[in-house]
Amino acid sequence: MTPDDLKYHKEHTWVKVSGRKVTIGITDYAQDALGDIVYIDLPEIDTDVEANTEIGEIESTKATSSLISPVSGKVIEVNEELSDTPEIINEDPYGKAWIAVIEINDESELDDLMDASEYTKYIEEEIK
Amino acid sequence: MRLTILGAGPGGYVAAIRAARSGLKVTVVEKDEPGGTCLNRGCIPTKSIIASIELLKKIRLSHNFGIDVPAEVKPDLNKIIARKNKIVQTQVNGIINLFKFHGIEIKKGKGYLLSPRSILVTDNGSKQEVIESDVIIIATGSRPYQIPSIPFDNKLIISSDDALNITDIPKNIVILGAGVIGCEFAFIFKLLGSDVTLVELLPRPLSTEDIDITNILERELKKLGIKLFASTKVEKVITENSSIKVYLSNGKELITDKILVTAGRSFNTENIGIENAGIIKGNRGEILVNNRFQTNTSNIYAVGDVIGKMMLAHVAAREGITAVENIIGNNTTIDYNSIPSAIFTLPEIASVGLREFQANEQGIKINTGHFQFRMLARSHTIGEIDGLVKVISDANTDKLLGVHIIGPHASDIIHEAVLAIRKGLKTKDISETIHAHPTFSEAILEASDDVYGKAIHIIKK
Repeated sequence: MTPDDLKYHKEHTWVKVSGRKVTIGITDYAQDALGDIVYIDLPEIDTDVEANTEIGEIESTKATSSLISPVSGKVIEVNEELSDTPEIINEDPYGKAWIAVIEINDESELDDLMDASEYTKYIEEEIK
Repeated sequence: MRLTILGAGPGGYVAAIRAARSGLKVTVVEKDEPGGTCLNRGCIPTKSIIASIELLKKIRLSHNFGIDVPAEVKPDLNKIIARKNKIVQTQVNGIINLFKFHGIEIKKGKGYLLSPRSILVTDNGSKQEVIESDVIIIATGSRPYQIPSIPFDNKLIISSDDALNITDIPKNIVILGAGVIGCEFAFIFKLLGSDVTLVELLPRPLSTEDIDITNILERELKKLGIKLFASTKVEKVITENSSIKVYLSNGKELITDKILVTAGRSFNTENIGIENAGIIKGNRGEILVNNRFQTNTSNIYAVGDVIGKMMLAHVAAREGITAVENIIGNNTTIDYNSIPSAIFTLPEIASVGLREFQANEQGIKINTGHFQFRMLARSHTIGEIDGLVKVISDANTDKLLGVHIIGPHASDIIHEAVLAIRKGLKTKDISETIHAHPTFSEAILEASDDVYGKAIHIIKK
């Protein structure tokens, strides 16, 4: 379950590109590894974020995990619904549970991300 | 030997009992009720109120436990305060009974030193009497610090003393100072239903605690919707009728019903005549003592908040006992390196010994171990999985140097670490000790195991 129309970051986030505004979320592999998600500390609107740095935190019933931004830019929208119902990240990580929309500075950064088949191989390696 | 003690808080009343048991003739002078700040305006009243709000929180989560509560639950503030008052009164009576049992005389009134051996006591009806003593212990404590530009009016701008006796739940409240008192009240007011904003001058709340602990606290504040402005100063406060405008250094303006100022404590060293006994104060206004709690006037001792060491009830009590031991000729001191502290936020925080930032400041090479309560079955059974135990040990000797806990029952489980640190034990000693299952104390065991990567319930990447 790795949609073809998305790009993937090694810290298990996905990016949906639509011009300079990109939507991000965590992958199915990440939600499955975390288990039942009970809280997400969302990034704040208008904050500048940098690729490969922590922009939030996710808590599950068994672990806490940093949310690492796959891109650099400004947060222009966050999915407030996740504050009250973080469990939808487990149910629909690529759909209803998008986390934030980021306006990116540098489109070339997207070239560093993996496509679906590369990410599938990457997680197969990680499981070994 | 005649001993007179000024103040019947945890320092004074405990000293009185120890002294009476040692055969001294003891008089205690107290202007309010025995028990001091701790019992009347601090530890015990706040914990009584926190017990009410914890229950409220739990009832609101009852559906998670398979319990249907048919109607909406609401706090009844007047009953919460009445319950608190009753608990306090019971404990006050307990101290009065202890005094009677031990033949300790209590003089109700304000004490004022006329000389190193005589104290003038003025009661509330302004009746005066002079008490002569061979030895005196000053245990007059502390009071809420008043910021000169934001004086208490006890209605809109209140101290922690006032906050314990409010009659209405404010719609919103700004708390100045995110120390122990400010943080505890933030949770109290938020769960009572107020909109709460904490303003702190320093970069983080509870700045004397370990950063791993306060990071979790900050997230718990955020989860509940308590706003925190750190590294922020109050520029100006303007009172208009029944609301207050607060101007912050970050440019924000807050409009609030109440301001609770918890910006530290002032020493009660004024108007007690210490100058008549030649006692020297430090530059913070505290009474200076040697390590046997003796002031520069040899027959006068001082203990508790008034000496400005660690302003904790359990420290005051031990200082009181230690002062008496020295008075009766047993040369004893206190080890301040293994004193626990407990903070009753939700979840609780407890700590003992070295923080990681202190180890760095002192250039001590350390190992650390961490264990999250969410990995612990016992936490899941009560539905309280947030929190962490952090163990700090000497990298060379494995000696335990500090243990920091945020999580369920932190204040109860810390004491294994207190004893271990006091006795110079190693993390290995904790690891080799079988802990009962399922208990919260297992988190200390696993955090100790984690120092060497041996914790069973941690998945290492």
